[in-house]
Amino acid sequence: MVNVIPSEIRFLGTCIFIVDMLCHVEKTAEAMPSSDWTPFEINRSLPPERADIVIVGGGVMGWSIAYWLKQKEKIREGVRVLVVERDPTYSQASTVLSAGGIRQQFSLPENIVLSIASADFMRNINKHLSVLNEDPVDLQFNHSGYLFLASENVAQIMEENYKTQRYVGAKVALLSPTQLKEKFPWINTDGIVLASYGLENEGWFDPWTLLNAFRRKAISMGVYQCFGEVTGFKYTTNSMNTAEGNKLDFQRIKYANVQMPNSLEYQPVECAIVVNAAGAFSGKVAEMMGIGLGLKDTIAGVPLPVEPRKRFVYVVHCPDGPGLETPFLIDYSGVYFRREGLGGNYIAGMSPEEEEPDTSNLEVDHQFFQEKVWPRLAHRVPAFENLKVKSAWAGFYDYNTFDQNGIVGNHPLVNNMFFATGFSGHGLQHSPAVGRAIAELILDGGFQTLDLSAFSFQRIITQEPMLEKNIV
Amino acid sequence: MLKILIPTFMLFPTIWLVPGKWLWTATTAHSLVVASASLSWFKWCSETGWVAPNLYLALDPLSFPLAVLACWLVPLMIIASQNHVAHEPLTRQRTYISLLVSLQVFLILAFSAMDILTFYVMFEATLIPTLIIITRWGSQTERLSAGTYFMFYTLLGSLPLLVALLYLLNDTGTLSMHTLQYIQMTNPDTLGTMLWWVACLLAFLVKMPLYGVHLWLPKAHVEAPVAGSMVLAAVLLKLGGYGMMRMMVVLGPLTKEMAYPFIILALWGIIMTGSICLRQTDLKSLIAYSSVSHMGLVASGILIQTPWGFTGAIILMVAHGLASSALFCLANTSYERTHSRTMLLTRGLQMILPLMAAWWFLANLANLALPPLPNLMGELMIIVSVFNWSSWTILLTGLGTLITASYSLHLFLTTQRGPTPQHFISMDPSHTREHLLMALHLIPLLLLVLKPELMWGWCF
Repeated sequence: MVNVIPSEIRFLGTCIFIVDMLCHVEKTAEAMPSSDWTPFEINRSLPPERADIVIVGGGVMGWSIAYWLKQKEKIREGVRVLVVERDPTYSQASTVLSAGGIRQQFSLPENIVLSIASADFMRNINKHLSVLNEDPVDLQFNHSGYLFLASENVAQIMEENYKTQRYVGAKVALLSPTQLKEKFPWINTDGIVLASYGLENEGWFDPWTLLNAFRRKAISMGVYQCFGEVTGFKYTTNSMNTAEGNKLDFQRIKYANVQMPNSLEYQPVECAIVVNAAGAFSGKVAEMMGIGLGLKDTIAGVPLPVEPRKRFVYVVHCPDGPGLETPFLIDYSGVYFRREGLGGNYIAGMSPEEEEPDTSNLEVDHQFFQEKVWPRLAHRVPAFENLKVKSAWAGFYDYNTFDQNGIVGNHPLVNNMFFATGFSGHGLQHSPAVGRAIAELILDGGFQTLDLSAFSFQRIITQEPMLEKNIV
Repeated sequence: MLKILIPTFMLFPTIWLVPGKWLWTATTAHSLVVASASLSWFKWCSETGWVAPNLYLALDPLSFPLAVLACWLVPLMIIASQNHVAHEPLTRQRTYISLLVSLQVFLILAFSAMDILTFYVMFEATLIPTLIIITRWGSQTERLSAGTYFMFYTLLGSLPLLVALLYLLNDTGTLSMHTLQYIQMTNPDTLGTMLWWVACLLAFLVKMPLYGVHLWLPKAHVEAPVAGSMVLAAVLLKLGGYGMMRMMVVLGPLTKEMAYPFIILALWGIIMTGSICLRQTDLKSLIAYSSVSHMGLVASGILIQTPWGFTGAIILMVAHGLASSALFCLANTSYERTHSRTMLLTRGLQMILPLMAAWWFLANLANLALPPLPNLMGELMIIVSVFNWSSWTILLTGLGTLITASYSLHLFLTTQRGPTPQHFISMDPSHTREHLLMALHLIPLLLLVLKPELMWGWCF
């Protein structure tokens, strides 16, 4: 009799058992083989242990490359891409501190073609970068064009550039001083002999939006993001002899060490390819691989000639300034300005002529504005004589000290490091096209749509500069 | 038997006592000698069904091809692992090779076991070194999950097997294969007997693997280091097939009805896993799924229980062991150079490593069952015997053959042909060691074309 449990109590017992099981559903799920519970605390912000392509640098160039790599893989999860960015606030990143202009008025046909392709991408940006169920991308692309002003000595160069630009397909017009005065009455045409005005695909846009659009789309396609700093690489060296008997050391990166912010913890990420898109700090990343630390007069002794150069941008307010049609004006004296927003604000700046500002910080030199920029600005646009400086910031150019043009392609000795850096101030506007080019180089073995082999590292070794006659 | 077993046991002192710089040379040489000695098992000079018989260990035409394969594979595994293990501390290297050798010991004992319970114990014992190899020497975090899947899938099947074997022991009084073949089993048609039938075969179906319980295989193959992948693909899967063939003896007339769903699952699995292969982005994962596909054919051949089915199954097991192991070695050569298993990044290798491209070609042709290689012979015999069982299966097996050919060619064309990426500018040229490895895989396969009687089994 004692062994018989009354049915009510048995029912109650079953209920309690089921409720108990439901409370333990999570524990049960964690015990199943497919869950990722481990007794060891895993730092979730660590990058994955293995990635196929590690992109060093999460600026617009890095994310553009990541997007295009995922775009080009023909099968889902074809390649595993990891973007490593050391500063989640992007406080020193050149992308977001840029003035955001895009122009086709270069002297090198390669640059013009890159700009046209990028402008085309940005005009149809929602065809490329829209994510399902998210807001469409609004780049705030102001198509106001660039206006270059030439004095007596440089008018010849401007005419030659104009011919190249028209030949390649950019829509540019040359204006005489009278035409200039007619179109833009607020300009003082004193000293101007010729002006070149971009009619289409030129202007400025919001760099933050472009960066975030690339990032959002890339992450939706499965790119891994890690906030950490690449502090070194583990590589294997393979020595070979050339036909003349010289010894060459070929290196192959096997692991990229990613160090977590504010911590000693680091994760060696096993990778097949490393893309150096670190912008102003690419030179340091290249040095981690010993590029440039070899003997002089050898390929190993040629460093990556990219260093940070500080440039200032000043926001000024002028109530009687030029109107809405103001282009991005670049004077022959080096000063430039553009309209910012609709409230009479403008962004102005100038490339320093003699001494370069100190690059250890991003402090703004207001004296520079007072002494150099404002006089020239006021000379060109008389209305700017009474303006008020609202704010200012400084950003780094990833300045290519060799010829101020980008370096795209892989290094001859470090087999699997690709460069996409050194654009010296026009990287943002070329980022969509360069990203596609690098993705083609990696996945297709060669350039397909645009041939950027002129930008390879070879020219640095053979010391043949591709000089741009139109650097701002 | 002892002339192979004792030298195999003596591999352990060799590994641990040889000075460091001679470790790899000595172990490779010693295991090659053992492998060559094991070839003596090919000489069939027995009037009875068994050779080297004693109460506990004997070989018969079913088991000695697989035992020779197990012995042959150990020097190959040692040669293949030399590169990636050489950078570790000496003791760890010795441990690694000891694990490989212990696998060989367990495998020889498993294939020559005369008592089904001995076979069961050895079958389980092979799990331990493999688990250690996968979880300790694999290269990614996922290896822990792979080890768990591997262990628990197999154990899920083998506990019922233990119960079934003990029941059989209780029922018939013996588990010795010598005597079991003469016992007439009269299995009543009850649910209990059906469950017993499933329990007998479940462990081996999981090991083969059968399509529904195959999830452990891609994980284990991909996360394991090259030697682990080789031994898994070449021999451990065959343990399942061998076990099924031994158990068929006692399973009696029940199999006629009970095997139906499993045959269908196996045939369907060929097509499903073949299609999965076409969509794979990871090289090793593709080869792993192709293993499942081939083993599906083997499983259906065994379950059909006809002489041609059994013969085809054994031939395909041996041939697939060599071909699949060769493919894993090739994938490893590519991985060691580029550190990536993604097929999109390891393309156009023919331009850089043309001789290796020849081996790739041969291994892929073996995989897609090109005549006159034994892969085709095995497949044909199984397809024919399954067709004899039911004409409709020709649709499944024919489609399966087509898909096998397409993914093998896709594998070859993606890795070898096509544009060579820029980051392959300078790559290690093919080492002689790698060529030796591939030759030792594929030359036996080619030789078997000339004398397939060696591995036909006893049914032909």
